[in-house]
Amino acid sequence: MKLGKDEIQKLVLGILLLFGLVYSYFDLLLGPLVKREETARQSVNALGPEIASAKAQIEKTQQALKNSPAATLPMRQVEAMIPEGSPVAWFPTRMAEFFKKQGLDKASTRMTAETIEKELPGFRKIAWGVDLPKVEFVPFGQAIAELENEEPLLEVSALQIDASRDDVETQHAFLTVNNLVKQ
Amino acid sequence: MALRLNLYHEVHKARALKRRDPLKISIYGISAIAALFASWYFVQLVRMHATNDEYLKVKAEFEKVEPMAKAAKKKEDELAQKAATSVLIGKRIESRFYWAPLLAELTQVVPREVQITRLGGEVSASGGSDNARHCALTIDGLSAGADPRHVAEDLRTAIAERLAPHYKSVTSTFKTLEDGSEMVMLDGKQVGTATFAIVVQMATVEDKPTAAGRRKK
Repeated sequence: MKLGKDEIQKLVLGILLLFGLVYSYFDLLLGPLVKREETARQSVNALGPEIASAKAQIEKTQQALKNSPAATLPMRQVEAMIPEGSPVAWFPTRMAEFFKKQGLDKASTRMTAETIEKELPGFRKIAWGVDLPKVEFVPFGQAIAELENEEPLLEVSALQIDASRDDVETQHAFLTVNNLVKQ
Repeated sequence: MALRLNLYHEVHKARALKRRDPLKISIYGISAIAALFASWYFVQLVRMHATNDEYLKVKAEFEKVEPMAKAAKKKEDELAQKAATSVLIGKRIESRFYWAPLLAELTQVVPREVQITRLGGEVSASGGSDNARHCALTIDGLSAGADPRHVAEDLRTAIAERLAPHYKSVTSTFKTLEDGSEMVMLDGKQVGTATFAIVVQMATVEDKPTAAGRRKK
């Protein structure tokens, strides 16, 4: 069969139409669609591990919450040991009462310094000077032992005991103590 | 042979030409391909919608879970901080320097020929890798006897010997040791005196068995 000029022109036109159709289909229709699907698929794949990680975090925290009562028990005990209110209001009284109970009267306590505890958030350390004008060495030593056992948040950082010239039986004692209190 | 005349040949030719019109055939072909493409596009569209639905579902789940995870992380950090603080407070309490046992030891070691006139002590803040607490004691006093200097020397060595099993790096040195001007009565005899100042230095180490054993009196 021999194609005429008119037929060849029509054939070329048909081929051109075909190319146009193929190009339009892939570039304008299927291409963007596939791209959108790929983007959505990638997003789904990316979110999967993040969701798993988030769920694992929630589970880990729940486990930590279950174990927390044991882990934070010392801190809660310590917090329970510290009275509410300003330490200046309660600590000197507490010291006076303690030493009075030990038979050592006239204990006077003054605050000397205050430092923020960087390592212990929520706490600060206060240094106090406790003056005991008239003590006997042995009862004083026993009082110190009681103090160290009864007050775990307190540490005697320095002490000074001077013999009295007037009364050889008694001494003058001065303690420097550090106490941990709430911030 | 009979002669046959096709008077419709023009019509037949035109029909044949119309039947094999390339443009028409092309349009048919293109239409078929377009139909195939349309079908494939539809399939892809359905798949895309399914993926999109899945994405929306996953995104909604993520948006629900993410704030919870952030809150959980914050809570966990708080708990970890509290636990660390608890441990640290426990260590602080355990590593305190206890004076009562030290005073008790000194009471045991001071003989009747010696009078302590001043006792001072200071604990330095813990530092270094070994968590050692260093304590410096200054003991001022008066010794009496036939050889008061010897009495003071005995006290100095006795202090070091007494404290050595319980503390680390115990050193006991005289800061001063001088003959006293006054005489005192001891066992009914007038004896000479010496004034002395002894500096005792020692360290305690956290979790050391000797130190732990001395915590409670």
